[in-house]
Amino acid sequence: MDVTIKIRRYDPEAEQPGSYWEEFAVSVADNATVLDALIKIREEMDGTLTLRCSCRSAICGSCAMRINGHAGLACKTPLALVVDENNAITVEPAGVMRVIKDLAVDFEMFWDKIRAVEPYLQPAGVEPEGEYIASNESMLHLSGVTACIMCGACVSDCTVLEVDPTFLGPAALAKAYRFTADPRDGNREGVSRDRLRSLSEETGMWDCTRCNECVQACPKGVAPMDRIMALREQAVEAGFTNNNGARHTNAFTESVGHSGRLDELRLPIKSVGGVTNVGAMLSYAPVGWRALTHGKMPPIRHKNVENVEQVRRLFRKLDPDLAGPQIGRNSPFG
Amino acid sequence: MLEHDVLVIGAGLAGMRAAIAASANGANTAIISKVHPVRSHSNAAQGGINAALLDRGDDWEDHAYDTIKGSDFLGDQDAIEVMCRSAGSALIDMEHMGVTFNRDDEGRLGTRAFGGQRRARTFFVGDFTGQALLHVMFEQLIKSQVRSYEEWFVTSLIIEDGQVGGVMALEIRTGQLHAIRAKTIIFCTGGCGRIFEPSTNALIVTGDGMALAYNAGAGLMDMEMVQYHPTTLAGSGVLLSEAARGEGAYLRDKNGNRFMERYAPNMMELASRDVVSRAEQTEINAGNGVNGCVFLDCTHLGEALIMEKLSQIREIGIDLAGVDMIREPVPIRPGMHYIMGGIKTDIDGQTSIPGVYAAGECANVSVHGGNRLGANSLLDTIVFGERSGNHAAEACRSLPFVDFSEDEAVAREERRIKEMLDRPDNGDRWGAIRQAMGESMVRNVAVFRDEQSISEAVRDFAELRDRYATVPVENKNRIFNTDLIFALELGFMLDVADTIAYSAVERRESRGANARTDYPERDDENWLKHIVAKKGEVGPELSYLPVTITKWQPEERKY
Amino acid sequence: MKYAFFPGCVSQGAAPELYPAAKLICERIGIELDEIPGWTCTGAGVMQEKNQFFADTLNARNFAKAEQMGLPILTICSTCQGVMSQANKRMAKDSDYLAEINYHLAEEGLEYKGTAEPKHLLWILIEDIGLDKVTELVTRPLAGIRMAPFYGCYIVRPTEALDIEEHPERQTSLETLIETLGATVVDFEGKTRCCGFPILTINEKNSMAMVGKHTSEAKDLGADAMVTPCPLCHLNLDGYQPKASAQLKRKVDLPILHLPQAIGLAMGIDPKDLGLQKHIMSTQPLTVKLGARR
Repeated sequence: MDVTIKIRRYDPEAEQPGSYWEEFAVSVADNATVLDALIKIREEMDGTLTLRCSCRSAICGSCAMRINGHAGLACKTPLALVVDENNAITVEPAGVMRVIKDLAVDFEMFWDKIRAVEPYLQPAGVEPEGEYIASNESMLHLSGVTACIMCGACVSDCTVLEVDPTFLGPAALAKAYRFTADPRDGNREGVSRDRLRSLSEETGMWDCTRCNECVQACPKGVAPMDRIMALREQAVEAGFTNNNGARHTNAFTESVGHSGRLDELRLPIKSVGGVTNVGAMLSYAPVGWRALTHGKMPPIRHKNVENVEQVRRLFRKLDPDLAGPQIGRNSPFG
Repeated sequence: MLEHDVLVIGAGLAGMRAAIAASANGANTAIISKVHPVRSHSNAAQGGINAALLDRGDDWEDHAYDTIKGSDFLGDQDAIEVMCRSAGSALIDMEHMGVTFNRDDEGRLGTRAFGGQRRARTFFVGDFTGQALLHVMFEQLIKSQVRSYEEWFVTSLIIEDGQVGGVMALEIRTGQLHAIRAKTIIFCTGGCGRIFEPSTNALIVTGDGMALAYNAGAGLMDMEMVQYHPTTLAGSGVLLSEAARGEGAYLRDKNGNRFMERYAPNMMELASRDVVSRAEQTEINAGNGVNGCVFLDCTHLGEALIMEKLSQIREIGIDLAGVDMIREPVPIRPGMHYIMGGIKTDIDGQTSIPGVYAAGECANVSVHGGNRLGANSLLDTIVFGERSGNHAAEACRSLPFVDFSEDEAVAREERRIKEMLDRPDNGDRWGAIRQAMGESMVRNVAVFRDEQSISEAVRDFAELRDRYATVPVENKNRIFNTDLIFALELGFMLDVADTIAYSAVERRESRGANARTDYPERDDENWLKHIVAKKGEVGPELSYLPVTITKWQPEERKY
Repeated sequence: MKYAFFPGCVSQGAAPELYPAAKLICERIGIELDEIPGWTCTGAGVMQEKNQFFADTLNARNFAKAEQMGLPILTICSTCQGVMSQANKRMAKDSDYLAEINYHLAEEGLEYKGTAEPKHLLWILIEDIGLDKVTELVTRPLAGIRMAPFYGCYIVRPTEALDIEEHPERQTSLETLIETLGATVVDFEGKTRCCGFPILTINEKNSMAMVGKHTSEAKDLGADAMVTPCPLCHLNLDGYQPKASAQLKRKVDLPILHLPQAIGLAMGIDPKDLGLQKHIMSTQPLTVKLGARR
């Protein structure tokens, strides 16, 4: 197969360093991967081409890069699946992280975030003499997360990290979940309360936008965003609800559980902690005013859907803690 | 100058285990690796880790016997005893650190069957046990006080008056050379698989530590013992775990016959790796394969089992060969996978050079002898990594730092690097030399070998060595110059390649992985001994060491 | 063609201009919309993080009602599309899960059989109606208008839930439609990124940074307007553009259109009837350029 590999290159030692595109025409086997082509270029055409790679079998995590604009492992991507009608692809360094040279990026921020979640098991109490007893299901569930090879594909494509490098990001949060979900970890009856408390703070689990980029990018099926959602569930369960994220989730569910639909007027108010949060309310005021003057304010009087009692029945049954006995009577959404 | 009591080179499982142990023993410890620790090749161990747990009714002596028989009686039995006795606590340590081992119905650690062993004692995490262990060890490294030099490449050893003084290292991201002073050095640099083409090994597995130790005067022992793994994927040569056969997969020829019944009627597909690889190669040579491959058949295992326990190798088959093992047999063949040989050490990792240690695949203790059992390599790294770290930390207490001039050391290495960068372009490339070396090795020092073929490899290497002396480095810059690193690695590989070929031609018998068609029988009378290669004037100089036998006398090996 | 209509909360709440605009263009195309009686919110991904089972049960309830109507589901909200598709996949993959959901629906006399296939208007136009039909109705081509597509997240990811492999054309559906309307596509990197809306009340600074990034990037590439199939994206990109602009310390002034509005403009419908005056960012420069001045 003859393919054209268009590579975004960067030479930090050039007189005027800047990124530029360079095209290579290579001939490879029909079942070759993107990495096979890059290695061929490096070994036979241009020894200055720089990239990290090692295992060739999607386990070492070295070769994450953007292929046709999206992060993935070069060694796990068959060329035939990604070439366009002209048998061409583009290859760029992973996003978010600083480029060192060509396709090699600086992972320091990645490791800083991993280190920030105290990534080692912290059991409470006395270690057993033998192994900890744990169900196979719980271990298989964790293995789905520990399958993470730290390749950085999720970080590369994270929409939040793109605008805010302080966010812990998908890899570190998935790593954190690997401990909070571990029956062996935790400082209170198997609940990793300290972890959940600190992960509920700013730059933590609630800053994720649920954009699914990391789920799409992950080459190992770890689905980091799903783990972040599971972290949120654990945090709320453990009572760490004094933050806008947890309030938002609870208020949203309450609104729908009570009326069947979303109350868009009251939701932001409840999310920021009610009308007593004067600063936040003032910051919404200009937007609310503009909306009002443009005739698009959500209805002040939120209506219930037809047959709402059926929705409330499900709410009471399926989320009794949140629904409470008062639903339908004294709810703030009434 | 950067200065440490203990400097561990290589950050795979053995290296990190050694560093953590040394640090826990109070030594100022650093670990240096040409890749980030989690990129290390320990990742690639798929199937599991062996341990004989007493509370499962298993016995370390049974494990030891299986290991000794697997080694074709070339393993040192005192070392094997140390490893098998320590296995249980090493395993439980890893579990306590957080490894998510698969469990049995009672919630205890589950096992699977593995080759060459009479009972199931292989503990595992799906089919990515090495990765699971490596990442947990990295977590412990983060927790420790160990200083980590990531993406630093060790270019040479500093030896003053026979005593190790430290190392010279290239900081890859800046291209700057540094001298690091150390009282003790522990090589944990892994194997040398890239000397072979193809190989299951990662591109970083280039025998650096073996070559550095060899060039400093240490002996490389049993280098002819190179393991060809029975199930490597057609084409790319990537590994498909023995776990597949451990879970019940069959090997079939082109007519669907389970040919192993003719080679190992009792253990069948789960005979020792050398036995299975020879069987496959014999069938392929007899025309019973397809395109140089036989087949690994998992189709009867069922989707649920494959998804729970073999999901990663299934993906590899799909991605790299377009074959889904749930539905069809996968074409496989024997492929170079592991080297039993390595830097000769004692059971505490000490080499013949004072202050220099080695552990893991780069070392030869020797626990694997002529053939390593599957799932003994992870165990080897952890047990002897820890022992080396402990011993080195202890030794440091009474060792002084060796005095040497940092400026001179840096200037000397700088001149060597500059000479390489300044070479004129002569049209040759390191990639071409490496390819020629690898192909010669796989052609001539193969599953089956003889004097003529091995001698051909020796001649090839001499020629390639001449080419290497003038091979240009295309990239003249300093920042992240992988071109330069590859050229340096090739030098290491050529050194080690010679020791493999010389040792292979020397051992005039068939034992373990050294199957000589010109000497088809095992010859205990003349060859129940180790071959040690030391650097001589013009090439490796060979000598012999006795095999330590404690209670298991050599016997005929049948599976 | 007739569909079980799922409008979504926002089209009747914070983006009230969307609902009538969608109705108008569907009428012209000949799409008959039969609203699912008593439909409930999909959970928008928010409820799913609190209680996925409850949220999925509510989705199954909507699907069951559409099954009773015997009609395929049409939605005009990308977020609803994504959340419904994901929920539907979970139920399709796990029959025990679906059975448990049906157990709770049974009390109301409902059962979800698993046949619903929720589809966004954008996909329906391309896959069911055909672009020829749309082209036929374009009486005022958006010639000379440079329009940036903004998909947002839910209608493009995860690809598995959205059957993108079977329908690769969905990945370029918005561009295809823009071209059909006669406008020029302004391709930009942010088109499939997050608009920032889900974290508006959680991390407003980041949310505004996203709005600022996408709108300014499109503007810099010469866009006259941006069009989105997602009313939540619209809320943020339009409603919060002034705030994002202030944070960015730069004027952007990019009109943001709902998908049906862009279609309606090309069909010659009065901008006022499409609710263009209800937007926070003035659409006047656009309508003037188009000669459809209100």
